[in-house]
Amino acid sequence: MITRFLIRIVALAALAYLVLPLVVIVGASLTETSYLAFPPQGLTLKWFGVLFDDPSYVSAFVTSTLLALAATVVAIVLAIPASLALARYVFAGREAISSLLMSPLVLPYVVLGAALLQFGSAIGLARSFEALLVGHVVIVMPFVLRSVLPLLTPEQRALEEASMDLGATPVATFFLVVLPQIRGGIVSGGLLAFISSWINVELSIFNTSSALNTIPVKMFNYVQYTIDPTIAAVSAITIVAAALVIILLDLLIGLDMLSESRRP
Amino acid sequence: MTAPRTTLALLLFAPLAFFAAFFVAPMVVVALSSITADDGALTAAHYARILLDQYHWDVLWVTFRIALLTTLICMLVGFPLAWYLVRIVRWRAWRRACVILIIVPLFTSNIVRSFGWMVLLGRTGLVNQGLMGLGLTERPIRFLGTETGILIGLVYILVPFVVLTVGNALAKIDTAYEEASADLGVGPARTFWFVTLPLTLPGAVSGAIMVFALAVSAYVTPALLSGGQITVFSMLIFQQYSSVFDFHYGAALSITLLVLTLVLVTVAGRIGEGRKPA
Repeated sequence: MITRFLIRIVALAALAYLVLPLVVIVGASLTETSYLAFPPQGLTLKWFGVLFDDPSYVSAFVTSTLLALAATVVAIVLAIPASLALARYVFAGREAISSLLMSPLVLPYVVLGAALLQFGSAIGLARSFEALLVGHVVIVMPFVLRSVLPLLTPEQRALEEASMDLGATPVATFFLVVLPQIRGGIVSGGLLAFISSWINVELSIFNTSSALNTIPVKMFNYVQYTIDPTIAAVSAITIVAAALVIILLDLLIGLDMLSESRRP
Repeated sequence: MTAPRTTLALLLFAPLAFFAAFFVAPMVVVALSSITADDGALTAAHYARILLDQYHWDVLWVTFRIALLTTLICMLVGFPLAWYLVRIVRWRAWRRACVILIIVPLFTSNIVRSFGWMVLLGRTGLVNQGLMGLGLTERPIRFLGTETGILIGLVYILVPFVVLTVGNALAKIDTAYEEASADLGVGPARTFWFVTLPLTLPGAVSGAIMVFALAVSAYVTPALLSGGQITVFSMLIFQQYSSVFDFHYGAALSITLLVLTLVLVTVAGRIGEGRKPA
């Protein structure tokens, strides 16, 4: 009983620890003072206005969003055939290929960012949208692979074969049978991919410039020198956006992943 | 099933070509440049410069110490939280809300989260106000620019990974094992130690590996919370590429970090596998 009580205390403290900084940021973005204050003094949305009047923030928002969208789409297009090959067939080098495609998950982003800058300089691609894009595709593809692979089960395969036996072409089978079956994995993997790209700093920072900047990199460069309510406002937007995406995910696929009801 | 070669080639061509061009090739460029001089001649000078300089060893030591402590604290905080969510919470809606609370930080940029701690941990920040209000300290404690500050930030960023991996492992345990152990007269503490803990170990180990790998290579959080007072290894790499422009030396630093991370992740993985219950 005592242990149970202690676990409860630690757990609730940990939850508070997880929420506190986010609450502080959202709160501080509403202050009327020109310096950062928490609890906020007065309530105003003027810092959000300041943000949208600044073209450099707007363009960074656009760059980040386009980059994340493009990276997610390319990663999905590449990950679907790769997961079909990995889930279906036994072939020499299968393990190696699977580790290669998954390795960006444990690779330091700083190293990959540096590598892409150096490689990009060699082939004239450095500090361009394309250089950012290829790097982002590499780091987000494992998320899509990881959520699509488990859906390619023998049962899934059986339906696909049935479709082919009934005379559907491979293309029709893919779009009418396979794609709907793995849609859930594509959506959840795609959302994870989008977010990971949208919030990335370590990889992007090497290939951005003052003309081509993403929101997180712009914030990083700013926060090192100045802390003011504007930066709290940008942060608040990203926090609210993240919360909305997650609630959406919860409604779509259900995030009650920690319930005990699942038995092996 | 053995594959028809053409099907396999069609499926794998695009993803592999992409990875070869934009992942393998850049890494090869870095590896090569770490062992060549400006004129293209082979040299070990860049590595010698790293290995023979006490400063680099100090930075490495700081980096690994911070990563180890981060992993340890993440486990100590994350395990009870995962246990609470899986085993103690009975009200589904609350558990769902908690899972959302744990994932929201995960979906928020490192910048934003570290920025929150810059505000909280400042001299007049909420944490110091609280500590002084409780009479725990008379003068504000300096957190920013110390290893403690970096630790608080890194644990914050990485603890959700532990909660999710350990929680998943806990949720999948068939409680019949624990009931059997209790029926055989084994006390709760020993049941936990000999039955439950080994069953969650694979999840815990994979969570710990992820946390450790991310902590070793973290750049943003230490950069913001160190206030320029403490240097970790990834900062050395970034300096070379952004302001010193010595790509060869930067490449050698990158490869060093890469090799150390991969070796540690592999070793930790082996240890985890070795202790899996039969």
